[in-house]
Amino acid sequence: MVNICVTVDREHLSTIGDIAEALRARGMQVTQVLQTGFITGSVSEDCRPTLAAVSGVQAVDEQLQFQLPPPEAEIQ
Amino acid sequence: MIEPELPAGASIPPEAGSPAGPEAAATTGRYVVVFAEDGYEPASVLGTAGLANVASSRDFHGRAVDAAETAGADATVFDTLGIAVVSASPEQLAALQTAGGGQPVVLSVSPELVHHVLAPADYVHGYRDGVADLAARLDRGAAAAPAAGPAFEDTSQSTWGLQATRTVQSAWSGQGVRVAVLDTGFDAAHPDFAGRSITLQSFVEGEPPQDGHGHGTHCIGTACGPRTPSAGPRYGIAHQAEIFAGKVLSNAGSGTDAGILAGIDWAVAGGCAVVSMSLGADVAQAHPPYTAAGQRALDRGVLLIAAAGNNAQRPQGNFGFVGVPANSPYIMAVGALDQQLAVPYFSARSLPGRGGQVDVAGPGWQVYSSWPMPGRYRSLSGTSMAAPHAAGVAALWAEATGYRGRELWSVLVQEADRLLAPSADVGSGLVIAPQ
Repeated sequence: MVNICVTVDREHLSTIGDIAEALRARGMQVTQVLQTGFITGSVSEDCRPTLAAVSGVQAVDEQLQFQLPPPEAEIQ
Repeated sequence: MIEPELPAGASIPPEAGSPAGPEAAATTGRYVVVFAEDGYEPASVLGTAGLANVASSRDFHGRAVDAAETAGADATVFDTLGIAVVSASPEQLAALQTAGGGQPVVLSVSPELVHHVLAPADYVHGYRDGVADLAARLDRGAAAAPAAGPAFEDTSQSTWGLQATRTVQSAWSGQGVRVAVLDTGFDAAHPDFAGRSITLQSFVEGEPPQDGHGHGTHCIGTACGPRTPSAGPRYGIAHQAEIFAGKVLSNAGSGTDAGILAGIDWAVAGGCAVVSMSLGADVAQAHPPYTAAGQRALDRGVLLIAAAGNNAQRPQGNFGFVGVPANSPYIMAVGALDQQLAVPYFSARSLPGRGGQVDVAGPGWQVYSSWPMPGRYRSLSGTSMAAPHAAGVAALWAEATGYRGRELWSVLVQEADRLLAPSADVGSGLVIAPQ
């Protein structure tokens, strides 16, 4: 399973709920639906290629990791 | 309070002068009059000053104003601009300047100047001098600052960063402006923030918004700290802004797109004008979700600001690169400066290509700010410290101008102090607060 972020295109923002359903139907575990147009969650590598074909999906990207230095570091 | 003088050498010297040379500009003998925009009819104002023969751009019905046709007039009015060029006696000028009886009808009266194409010889000399100067600077070494002059310093009254950005003398406070800082959360019990409007939200599963790292409290301090802290110097810019502290990084300092995008979504829905993100991933390609998020935020009047990144090792010849999310074309990337307004060794340089530019710079070396209790205060360095300076200054401009989104981005860039450091490192320069 890989953590992904699906970007929904502007024209489909009003139907983002339906898009989330379509993604679930194709195997995505949906964790969040954000009104600015992002659906986050996870999917298996097998199912991942099928997600981009859902109408209204602008991009499917693997989530990036962000890491700060530890609190005692001088350069933050 | 006496402020230290601006250090010489780091920014453009005031005597740089005009490229056209030392002679005073020639004038035509006429005057350019700027009228207030609130409904004063320029022609009637001119009439009360004794200027009756007035040509107006409206008379040309969409054609350009023809100078031959207006040559005989006392005044030509450019209606769309609310500006007129007039031939007037000193008495008529005096009458114009005092028109309106106390109401600001005429904003300015200035001599009409003669303009010239820049003489080719002057341009080429200027270019040659510029190349020679640049070559000399490069010869001094990759990490060289401009000639060392006096540096800004923390005083008992204020941090060097607030002096450099001219925040100390700013009349603005960020009142009425909501500023979101997406980071490790906030120590809401910090004594310096008693009585402030603070909205806290965690987007990190299993962790409350309380800051268990320190980074978030430090950044919120810089952006929004109080005018008069409980102890020590002032370290915060938008001291009356409404604080939205979104925890998108865990107490261990880690986060993912899911949490950060949720934080952005929350800040946009919550009516924040500015969102400060002192976080990044060392990925050179712009990440599509942040490109979309930045653009959609701007469309809704929200300016996203992010740290450029600390992945440079300039003394070793590694200039680093602007990472995600700062390298999104629609997110403002902030580089770091030290007390001499030079670029510290770690501050990331612009990537070639769209979005990867450093847009502006802010104080990012030995920045004193708030820290979770019982520590209370701490000095840190990083582009993480520069970004909240830009965010705090943005909040002041948002209050001062009413601008949001793209217009707010523009005013920050326009009003930045241009520096001698390369734009690849500092963009348009050091962010400066409205006065």
